[in-house]
Amino acid sequence: MSKTDPHDTTDRTDDANSSGSEGGLDRRRFLQGTGLAALAGASGLGAASELLNFGGLETVDDPIGNYPYREWEDLYREEWDWDSVARSTHGINCTGSCSWNVYVKNGQVWREEQASDYPDINPDLPTNNPRGCQNGACFSDYVNADHRVKYPLRRTGERGEGKWERISWDEALEEIAEHVIEKVQEGEYDGIDSYTPIPAMSPVSFASGTRFVNLLGGVSHSFYDWYCDLPPGQPLTWGHQTDNAESSDWYNADYLIAWGSNINMTRIPDAKYFTESRYGGAKTVGVFSDYSATAIHTDEWLSPDYGTDAALALGMARVIVEEELYDEAHLKEQTDMPILVREDTGKFLRADDVGIDADDPEHAMVMVDADDNLRVAPGSLGTREGKLDFESSIEIDFDPQLDVETTVATADGDVHVRSVWNNLRDRLAEYTPERVHEETGVGRETHQRIAREFADVDRGKIVHGKGVNAWYHNDLGNRALQLLLTLTGNLGENGTGFDHYVGQEKIWLFRGWQNLSFPTGDVRGMPTTLWTYYHADILDVLEDDDQEWVPDEYDTAERIRESIDEGWMPMHPEEREDGTRPDPNTMFIWRANYFGQAKGGRFVEENLWPKLDLVVDINFRMDTTALYSDIVLPAATWYEKYDLNVTDMHTYVHPCTPAIEPMGESKPDWEIFRLLAEKVQEIAQERGIDPIPDRSFDREIDLQSIHDDYVRDWLTGEEGALDDGLAAAEFILENSDETNPDYLDEQITFEDTVEHPQRFLGVDPHWTSSGELDQDNPYVPWQDHIEDKVPWRTYTGRQQYYIDHDWFLDFGEELPTFKEPLETQDTDEYPLEYIQPHNRLGVHSTWRDDPKALRLQRGGPMVWLHPEDAKERGIEDGDTVVMHNELGEIEGTAKYYPSMPRGTTMQYFAWERYQYPNRQNFNTLLPMRMKPTQLIQYPEENGEHLHFFPNFWGPTGVNNDTHVEVRPKGGDSQ
Amino acid sequence: MSYTETADGVDNQIAMVLDLNKCIGCQTCTIACKTNWTDEPGREYMYWNNVETKPGQGYPRGWEDVGDGWASEDRTERSPGEIPSIEGYGRHWEFNHEEVLLEGSDEHIAPAEDPEWGVNWEEDEGAGQYPNSYYFYLPRLCNHCTHPSCVEACPRQAVYKRSEDGIVLVDQERCRGYRHCVEGCPYHKIYFNMEEKTAEKCIFCYPRIEGNGPDGEQHAPACADSCVTMLRYVGRLDDPTGPIHKLVEEWEVALPLHAEYHTDPNVFYVPPMSPGQHTEEGETVDADRIPPTYLEELFGPDVHDALDTLERERERVRVGEDSELMEILTTNDRENQYQMEVFADD
Repeated sequence: MSKTDPHDTTDRTDDANSSGSEGGLDRRRFLQGTGLAALAGASGLGAASELLNFGGLETVDDPIGNYPYREWEDLYREEWDWDSVARSTHGINCTGSCSWNVYVKNGQVWREEQASDYPDINPDLPTNNPRGCQNGACFSDYVNADHRVKYPLRRTGERGEGKWERISWDEALEEIAEHVIEKVQEGEYDGIDSYTPIPAMSPVSFASGTRFVNLLGGVSHSFYDWYCDLPPGQPLTWGHQTDNAESSDWYNADYLIAWGSNINMTRIPDAKYFTESRYGGAKTVGVFSDYSATAIHTDEWLSPDYGTDAALALGMARVIVEEELYDEAHLKEQTDMPILVREDTGKFLRADDVGIDADDPEHAMVMVDADDNLRVAPGSLGTREGKLDFESSIEIDFDPQLDVETTVATADGDVHVRSVWNNLRDRLAEYTPERVHEETGVGRETHQRIAREFADVDRGKIVHGKGVNAWYHNDLGNRALQLLLTLTGNLGENGTGFDHYVGQEKIWLFRGWQNLSFPTGDVRGMPTTLWTYYHADILDVLEDDDQEWVPDEYDTAERIRESIDEGWMPMHPEEREDGTRPDPNTMFIWRANYFGQAKGGRFVEENLWPKLDLVVDINFRMDTTALYSDIVLPAATWYEKYDLNVTDMHTYVHPCTPAIEPMGESKPDWEIFRLLAEKVQEIAQERGIDPIPDRSFDREIDLQSIHDDYVRDWLTGEEGALDDGLAAAEFILENSDETNPDYLDEQITFEDTVEHPQRFLGVDPHWTSSGELDQDNPYVPWQDHIEDKVPWRTYTGRQQYYIDHDWFLDFGEELPTFKEPLETQDTDEYPLEYIQPHNRLGVHSTWRDDPKALRLQRGGPMVWLHPEDAKERGIEDGDTVVMHNELGEIEGTAKYYPSMPRGTTMQYFAWERYQYPNRQNFNTLLPMRMKPTQLIQYPEENGEHLHFFPNFWGPTGVNNDTHVEVRPKGGDSQ
Repeated sequence: MSYTETADGVDNQIAMVLDLNKCIGCQTCTIACKTNWTDEPGREYMYWNNVETKPGQGYPRGWEDVGDGWASEDRTERSPGEIPSIEGYGRHWEFNHEEVLLEGSDEHIAPAEDPEWGVNWEEDEGAGQYPNSYYFYLPRLCNHCTHPSCVEACPRQAVYKRSEDGIVLVDQERCRGYRHCVEGCPYHKIYFNMEEKTAEKCIFCYPRIEGNGPDGEQHAPACADSCVTMLRYVGRLDDPTGPIHKLVEEWEVALPLHAEYHTDPNVFYVPPMSPGQHTEEGETVDADRIPPTYLEELFGPDVHDALDTLERERERVRVGEDSELMEILTTNDRENQYQMEVFADD
């Protein structure tokens, strides 16, 4: 349109009446309520009229430094105007946890800007401010979005069609209430599923629905494992979900390796601690298969082939071990390296085997002291009270030997034993420089030099992320990398550690949140990967000979059944007495986009979704899941309600507070679920519905009191105490060690957080450096174990690199090892490795459909290709292409990316289905895979080291290891 | 070489230094600028501040290939360029959310017309071949030049330079939309407002630095204040105690972009370092990844000394010595980095 073309030669007319300022009265000036009057009034209408006549234009002697007509400058000054400001944030799983000021003008959210008032930890660190990125900077778009959900909607067409009718709140609540009452009365309450992830991003909102579903006897889903964010190596080796330093501690490192963590793209508020560490004396290294946005700002970049990180790490570990660059004292005290393993069974030698005294000799491990005596390994499970025992210690009063190969007398006769150390040394010896180069492509000399440099510094740190964790063999990758920190003793001190950040999984404020979310204490937790796999019938697909998605040797289907039968992993709905297992029937989804984000998306759509009688989505925008739901309830945005926000990237708590009233008929989540509870209670009382005994827990599900139970403070017994979201937020603060530790007189209240973000006072023992928080230094984990010598939360009570579970022995994974990425597809037909990294212009699916973000890209999904790979296929930058494999096909715009190795293609994460012409998405091409070793309980008999706990231990949903082909739209691959 | 001399009649000169070693291409500055100033009819396609991946054609497409500002060092003659087409900037794509998501259309959400170019079209592309490809991010705004060729270009004398701080503005009442300034700026940082039919450009957020908002507080320009890695320094070039003077004149690590346009920009860049190249055997070697000639094209011959200085001072800190330069480049003091007091009314 020539009208909007700067080439348009129509100049602004000299006729004031048709100047654009009148016809084009813009939104902002309209909001100001001043509009044209302000524009004209700036220099006085009379004077302006004269100026507007070119003929009578007064001349300017010198526009450089001596311009006389400056009154008009008020035009822009008047745009810099607002009525009120409120503090809030974005309850999104981005890990940023940034405090923002939200500016309101004429009752509407105008814009937002970082609050920039986090107190700094100490003056030597780069400042904490500002926190907040480009996404947060345009969240106001969503508040005012075209696809904002403003009223309760009921589907009138097929799921996904986008056909809706507006219904009243009362109608919506009644329909949902009737449905869940029926399911509870039928005993099908364990088919009522709730999916809401990441409490840290808005714990009140998380707890709202979780509390309701907990009172109903329904199922609460995991997310950290499902998202493939959980690094299984942490629970395996360190006995803990994940713990890491806050990002400001990166700056304290002398040697900082970003390994598969694209900090500059996915940890934007924290990136300065990486970029500036170079000015503070550190060397930075990037390990990425592509020359990423983080790699460009490193001193040295290593580029292992995709999925080969473990081989590189094990090669580096070999150097550290063979050249004796390791921290021997650390290995002896803090690790399982001195512990003995039986050669005949591959199991740890137990005190019981050799007749040594211990509280529980069957679960006590054995070491050899300097005098060749067998000694019980202090802190091993058989010497302490369960998983976490602050009264026990791993301190050793003898000098254990690392290098042990001997024969011991057992009840079974003489048994040859070796230390874990010796087994590990043999394993590492396999990773010769030649092999490492062959597997990874990284230079023989380079990886050895980096290993030496890393071992040589005082404080070395690895920042680890999704790039390494999204693989089928992620557990092996984790363990290999963790080993580098353990060998060099780089744990438990500032500037050290294995900092894994993927997802805002860390729920500081643990106790308060837990009590608010699960008041009954009886929780039907469910590993979502397993649930999806099972109910989307992927098990059956796997058994179909035509589909070879997982390596045969892992016997996946059989092992899944075994794990469920053994009770290692739960499955809901539970098996009934007659041996049948019903389907899930209902799903509540809020703060999440389960349907859009589900790996195996095709199977979820075709097999799982039809099983659900009712899908309720609570949302402020019509995302993919909302689009495929039956009822959508309008949720208040983060600028319209009270909540809290925390992250593993820092140690502060700050709030959401309402900048405006909720738009339309939207309501805060806490109110929505409270109203739902109220409606259920009202109907149950009318009908006199009796309490129903829970199938598995010693409790009754009482629908007649569900609202009273919802608003009661279960810790104090106070009735009606939790009437609104603000009260719920205060409950969390009051009942958490981080904000109200009983060992300090201080307390952080909600009001404090509104003043400015508040640094925690203490750390809950759920985390690994518990007690008072050091106010002068960044938080670093593991100090309970390293400084205070509390046994690690593992079987051996130490950092455990040897796992003697049968399944690990079956697969040869008892020690860290390298296994290649899966190539189970026909790679002649589908030659391109398909990667879905996280993008900068969006957080998962949020902002993916935001016009501002889209205009900073190419308006929709892109397929990133190496230019040579593209040209080979007759594809040019900007062409529409089809990416496809056995599971389906999707369209996107080809984008050249010369910094990617050939043979790979990327589609950045989380475009919505409705951004693709065929309403499939990037997940359509992913099967769902699950590695059986992540289904175990360990030790098998008690699970003290590893047992299912949502987001702590459970199978991760794999994103990578999939191949595709790309062709021009309407053409064939060359 | 000194950059400090202000234009005749300009008492003080605002300036900005951008450390490209901190730029992560996140576009927070771009969004902040947009929500402050250009998120409304007529201005939508404009990005007064943009971040482009270099090497690349940038925004508007090919801006470096048209227009040289002043034809020579004596600035007697201009060498005007061309007015970019709307396709060269990228149109303001409109979307169809409501139809697709709430009204049952079976279309998908996409721009109403096929995009051909945009403000960040070449995101992360750069040049070279894996594993020795290279790219970096270049944030761009108006340079508020000491000798602005846009001012000279305007026959109505509607473009001017403020005496108190040297900010270059287009008088929105005097401007008639001839667009001589649009073609006269070699950096292509003046835009045509389609609705108002006037030229508009970066105003260095003067209402913010003047403290004109309801809170009465001074705020750094939105692009700087919002910058998450704090890569921007805001202040006066001629204030010898400020970080900008130190970076530009004393340490000589901050350089103007395309000084050969002879407009004397007041925006300076600390040039990008980069990791070494890889050999065929996968060894990393100490060979320049970004071709020095390319950096020279952008930042002139002094770029080599600037990079050497950075490396030398980094080494000093590495071995435990103090370095004033490294301290300045470490962002632990916002007040020092955004010197708002120099804009306060006397």
